[in-house]
Amino acid sequence: MGEPGADASEPPQPRRFSINAALDGFFFVYAGIAAVWLAWLVLSETLSFGWFGIAFFVVFWLVLAYLVLPRLHRILTAIYVPDYFIGRARTSDGLLGDPVNLALDGDEASVHAAMLTAAWTRADDVTAASSWRIITSTITRRSYDEAPVSPLFLFGRQQDFAYQQEVEGNPARRHHVRFWRTPDGWLLPGGRRVDWLAAGTFDRAVGFSLFTLQVTHKIDADIDVERDHIVSTVLGANPDARVVILRDFSTGYHSRNGGGDSVRTDGDLPVLDLSDVREVGEVRDAAIEESDESYESDAAPERVRVIPGVKTA
Amino acid sequence: MNVEKRSAFEPPAVLVERETPPPQMRRPIATSFGAVLVVLRVLAGVVWLVALAVQWDHVLTEDLDIELEPGTDLAAASDVILAVVLVVGAIILLAELALALLVYRGSNWARITVMVFATLSISGAAIDYFSGDAEITLRTTLITLSLDILVLLALSSHNARAYARRPRSRPVVE
Repeated sequence: MGEPGADASEPPQPRRFSINAALDGFFFVYAGIAAVWLAWLVLSETLSFGWFGIAFFVVFWLVLAYLVLPRLHRILTAIYVPDYFIGRARTSDGLLGDPVNLALDGDEASVHAAMLTAAWTRADDVTAASSWRIITSTITRRSYDEAPVSPLFLFGRQQDFAYQQEVEGNPARRHHVRFWRTPDGWLLPGGRRVDWLAAGTFDRAVGFSLFTLQVTHKIDADIDVERDHIVSTVLGANPDARVVILRDFSTGYHSRNGGGDSVRTDGDLPVLDLSDVREVGEVRDAAIEESDESYESDAAPERVRVIPGVKTA
Repeated sequence: MNVEKRSAFEPPAVLVERETPPPQMRRPIATSFGAVLVVLRVLAGVVWLVALAVQWDHVLTEDLDIELEPGTDLAAASDVILAVVLVVGAIILLAELALALLVYRGSNWARITVMVFATLSISGAAIDYFSGDAEITLRTTLITLSLDILVLLALSSHNARAYARRPRSRPVVE
C-alpha cells in the first residue's frame, strides 16, 4: 500500500493517518468502558427488585454476553492476536476461531459443483429472516438444513460461502465447512499456491461460549474426523476430484476455538483439486454415510497423493 | 507477485489507518439498530417534555422554591419560560430525529455527531454518579443512560463504521 510514484491519472493517495479513524477508535473503547458500567448498573438493579430481579439478571447476561465481552475482546484481540495467516480463522470478536484444515484448487463453479454433488447444502447468508428462522427451528426442533453459519474471518474477510449437512434433522448437530478465496498471489506457508482455504468442524450441540457467554454451537474436538469426512464425501461423489495431502502442514496441536471448545489435529492439510469438476453430477446421498475406512486407502490411488513432512537429522 | 515480509506484531498505527470497506455493502444491523435507538431516545425526550409541561407548577414550587401567585408578572413569565423550553426542546428533538434518519442512510458526520452527544451525556451521568450526587435506577435515569450507551456501542461498531465510511459512487461531502 501507499506505493509512491503512482500514475498521475490515479486519485491521490489518502492520508495514512485519519482523524476520523482516531475518533472512531476513541468511541470504540469509550463505548466498551461505558458498557461495563451499564452491566454493573443493571446488576445492582437486580438486587432491588426481588423476584422481578430475575428478569434484570437476564438483561444483565444479555448486556454482558452480547455487548460488553465482545467489545472488550475486540479491543484486546486487536492488540494481541496476529492479523496474518496462522492457520486459524477469527471470530467477529477477533478471537481465534476454527482451524483452517482444508485447501482447494479450482474456480468457484467447480467448488459449488463438487460440494453439491457430494450432498452438501449451501448455507444461507445471515439475514434478519434467516436468523429468525434459526431461532424458531431450534426451539421447535424443526429441520432447517440451509441454516446460516456464524461469520468467521480470514484475510480480514468473512467466509465467501459455507456448506453443511444437517444430522438427523436436528439443527443443533451438523457438519459444516466455511470457504475463503485466497488473495491473488497468496501462498501457503511453504510456498504452495491454493485457490481456496476452508475450515470444517462438526457442531455437536448448542451451549455457551467460554469467552463471551453467548449461546453458540459447541464443536467436536476431533476436527480431523470432520476434515476427512469432507474429503471422502467429495472424492466419493466426484470421480474427477483429486487430493494432495501435505503431511504435518501445521504441527499437530491441541487448542481452543472461538467458543472455548478444545480442538486437536494431526496437522495434515489435504489440498482438494477440483479444477476438473465441471458441473453438478448425480447427487450421491450415500456419500453422507460414514465409512470406517479412510479415503486414503479407499479412493483410487492415482487420485490421492501424499507429500510427507521432511525430517532433518 | 507482491509477497512482503511483515513484522510479527501489529503497530498501534494500524488502529488509526484508513480503512477501505467494500463499496457494495448492505446496511448492517448495527446501523439500523443505532438509528432505532436514536428514535427511542427522541421518544424518551418527548415523554420528558410532556411530563415537564404537565408538572410545571409543581417543578417550580417544589424543586426551584419559587412561589407563584396567579395573575402576577411572575406567573406570566413562568408561562413564557415554559413555552420557550418546550419550543427549544422540540427543535432539539426534531434535529435528533433528522440525525437518526441520516444515520440510517449511512451518513458519517451524523454518526459522529450522535456519538459525540452520547459520549457527553454518558460522561455527565458518570460524573454525577461517581461524585455521589445522583442515584441511577430504573426510576430515575437508567433508561436514557442505557439508550445512550447502546447508541454509542452500536454506532461505534466496526460494521456501522464501515457502512458509514464506504466509498460512494457519487461524491458525498462529509
